[in-house]
Amino acid sequence: MASESKQFDVVVIGGGPGGYAAALYAAAAGLSVALIERDKVGGTCLHRGCIPAKEFLETAHVLRTIEHASAFGFTTSAPTVDFAVSQNRKNEVVDQLHKGLSGLLKGRKIEVLEGTGRLDSNNSVSVLDGADAGTTLLGKNVILAAGSVPRTLPGFEVDGTVVLTSDEFLALSSLPASAAVIGGGAIGCEFASMLSDMGSKVTIVEGLPSILAGCDTEVASVVQRSFKKRGIDIVTNAKVTGHTPGKNGTTLHLDGVDDVQVEMVIVSVGRRPRTEGLLGDATGVELDERGFVVADEYMRTAAPNVFAVGDVVAGTPQLAHVGFAEAIVAIKTILGEATVPVNYDRVPWAIYTNPEVAFCGLTEAAAKERGYNVVVKKDPFAGNGRARIIGDTEGVVKIIAEKNADGTAGQLLGVHMAGPWVTEQLGAGYFAVNWEATASEAAALIQPHPSLSETFGETLLALAGRGLHVG
Amino acid sequence: MRRCSPWPDEDYTLADVTLPSLGESVTEGIITRWMKSVGDIVERDEPLFEISTDKVDSELPSPAAGVLLKILANEGDTVGVGAVVAVIGELDGATASPAAPVADAPADAPAAAPAQSAAVTPSAPISTPTNTDKGIVVSPVVRRILDGGGVDARAVQGTGPGGSITRRDAESAVANGPTDDLPIALTPGMRRMAQHMVDSVRTSPHGFVAVEVDASVFIKLDAVGRTTSDGTPINDEALVALAAVRALAEFDFFNATVAGDDLIIHRTINLGFVRSLQPAGMLVPVVHAAGGLTLRALAHRLNDLSERVESRQLTTDDLLGGTFSLLAAPTPSTLVAMPLLIQPNVAALSVGAVRHAPVVVVRDGVEIVEPGRRLVLGLSFDHRVADPDSAAKYLERVGELLAAIDVNAER
Repeated sequence: MASESKQFDVVVIGGGPGGYAAALYAAAAGLSVALIERDKVGGTCLHRGCIPAKEFLETAHVLRTIEHASAFGFTTSAPTVDFAVSQNRKNEVVDQLHKGLSGLLKGRKIEVLEGTGRLDSNNSVSVLDGADAGTTLLGKNVILAAGSVPRTLPGFEVDGTVVLTSDEFLALSSLPASAAVIGGGAIGCEFASMLSDMGSKVTIVEGLPSILAGCDTEVASVVQRSFKKRGIDIVTNAKVTGHTPGKNGTTLHLDGVDDVQVEMVIVSVGRRPRTEGLLGDATGVELDERGFVVADEYMRTAAPNVFAVGDVVAGTPQLAHVGFAEAIVAIKTILGEATVPVNYDRVPWAIYTNPEVAFCGLTEAAAKERGYNVVVKKDPFAGNGRARIIGDTEGVVKIIAEKNADGTAGQLLGVHMAGPWVTEQLGAGYFAVNWEATASEAAALIQPHPSLSETFGETLLALAGRGLHVG
Repeated sequence: MRRCSPWPDEDYTLADVTLPSLGESVTEGIITRWMKSVGDIVERDEPLFEISTDKVDSELPSPAAGVLLKILANEGDTVGVGAVVAVIGELDGATASPAAPVADAPADAPAAAPAQSAAVTPSAPISTPTNTDKGIVVSPVVRRILDGGGVDARAVQGTGPGGSITRRDAESAVANGPTDDLPIALTPGMRRMAQHMVDSVRTSPHGFVAVEVDASVFIKLDAVGRTTSDGTPINDEALVALAAVRALAEFDFFNATVAGDDLIIHRTINLGFVRSLQPAGMLVPVVHAAGGLTLRALAHRLNDLSERVESRQLTTDDLLGGTFSLLAAPTPSTLVAMPLLIQPNVAALSVGAVRHAPVVVVRDGVEIVEPGRRLVLGLSFDHRVADPDSAAKYLERVGELLAAIDVNAER
């Protein structure tokens, strides 16, 4: 096949959040951009991750609303769900967003190529397969945004019926009566929460001493308590030794604990970078021992004019919004504009379980580990008027501040929330932590009444010395 | 139809903006400033960008009217003559304001939302200066702490990501006082001046002589009007320059260059006029072949030069070939300033401000004091080839020739 190398200012490999953000931001700055995507633009986030997962969790939320309708005086019959319809709605949401994104890329005159991109030496990029197989591009700058795929466990062959990863789970058109979720991280807990709300019997199997290990322990325990109350079995410090498929599901074997009989096993033990085949010979790009691309704070890899953003980057949180931010840092660096790198200690986290979790900055344990003397205040949502109104009072806001020499609370180090709509409430905490506000500075600002965010404001007041409601 | 591009394809044609020739011996320049951003409407000949060469800073006009579509060379980039530095799209009709995109993606699309808002604004200009000193984003808290402590953010060494200033950095800077000096990058103009002056002092041992001369010719000039007969302004500088050029005919060794063991006397007098730049720096545009000029012709040439300095239209050729230079009084009360030699010249004339002064005159054999005008002239000279004696004599001769100018006849 004749291969002429068309030249672009920026060639992006991978059309997920990191890749498409880089492409859009570069095009907005007037750079010529090509984007290579092997599947559909939008990537894991849009098609097999954030968006579908949150759509399912919203399905569970609708069910909870119906179930609580009687408390408001509504008489309803017991709801039943046709999950195929739910799945269909999810697909529609994804399709609309996919179309919007495709149009946006087209409108910015970004050349989108179908296939798997490979970086070769001298910033040459080849499309290996797909509709544009055989095309070779030359990028003044190349951005590696190949993303990640679910990790699997030895002995757990993914078959899409009994053993699933998030990829297969999010395509289900009916839900199992029982399921084991291996891995109690953010993704596992979201699936467990949704399944349990939808009526499945769920067991979470976690190798660490607690679920949501990266979260502040108090926040994690709010979720853990809620899960247990709703009948989710949580097995911590567990070691999965294998499973024996039967005629109706499988039997999960755990070291030192009773077997668990389930219809379905969902493996959510993290994601690995999709870097196999990404690099040709002598690119100069460095990978770490786990296959992630090594990049500096400006997203520059070891090869000149080659950048990496998103899940493929070593040592950074695998979050779509971090990918967006990294993409902007990379493009601004390409443009020669001054830019502040992503402060990974202070990115916002959001987990859409019931109850939701959101946080930013250091946990209490991490702050102490780093040698801070801290002042900590908590305020439960039980005292919040709006939480009472919506009938969702489970949760807490916890704020950690550095302790001043006189014992008062100084700079805010971390804001941690569990409870109703906290993923939407984190913004104020995010700004406070990243703008390095002190407790009293942030407490002087007003939260609207009645709102769920008053709990955050009340916690700040308490931290600043005197609370209205909490001490 | 969905349309995200602010400039519909079918409505514009493209014009490349190239770096024009900036004069002989100049092959490249540094883009120092874009006056327009991508998306701006530009008129033909409207100043578009500023270029700095090793000789001069110039403002370059847009070659076409339309919309600035692309900036291809950033501020600070070195570009060669003939290189395309921007693209201007010619608007067909009055659709100057970019069409807002029609959103067909749901507004709550997490993926699409930030990008959409970006699409409403015309493409971000590559050359947009960052919003803070040193390009560092300073948080409101840090800004308040620094403002409260009277500390300039540029003087604080940041320890946050990318050198950003953390709260702790700000607090310690305020507590310790602004210990760091404030580094300000030299402008290209300052760098040129620095280089030239260091070279000049290294090359020539400078001598300097100042004499006071009669400036009553300015009383006559005021009486007839400070313009030529065709209305061109005549300033103090022009009148002294005329006398200086005339005196050089007798003192030709001040219109010269040292070359090894020889002093090369130049037959042509190319008179350089020192012009200050802001915030610092200088240019010395040259009136070539000033030897035979009448007052009127010299006033015309000086006026033209000043206008082109003002409008940044000087070319490199305007700056080359000077054989002697003149420094006018920087302020109305400057007695005299000592100029450094513009290499490879061997002399530089400095003109003090024309002052109203009591002068002693002899009337009917009696010395009396009258109101008059005086002026100090200074000469910096290369002490390898000239001495205070010849310098003082030259200055006195300038004074005589100045007094002898018949302004009424020559204007």
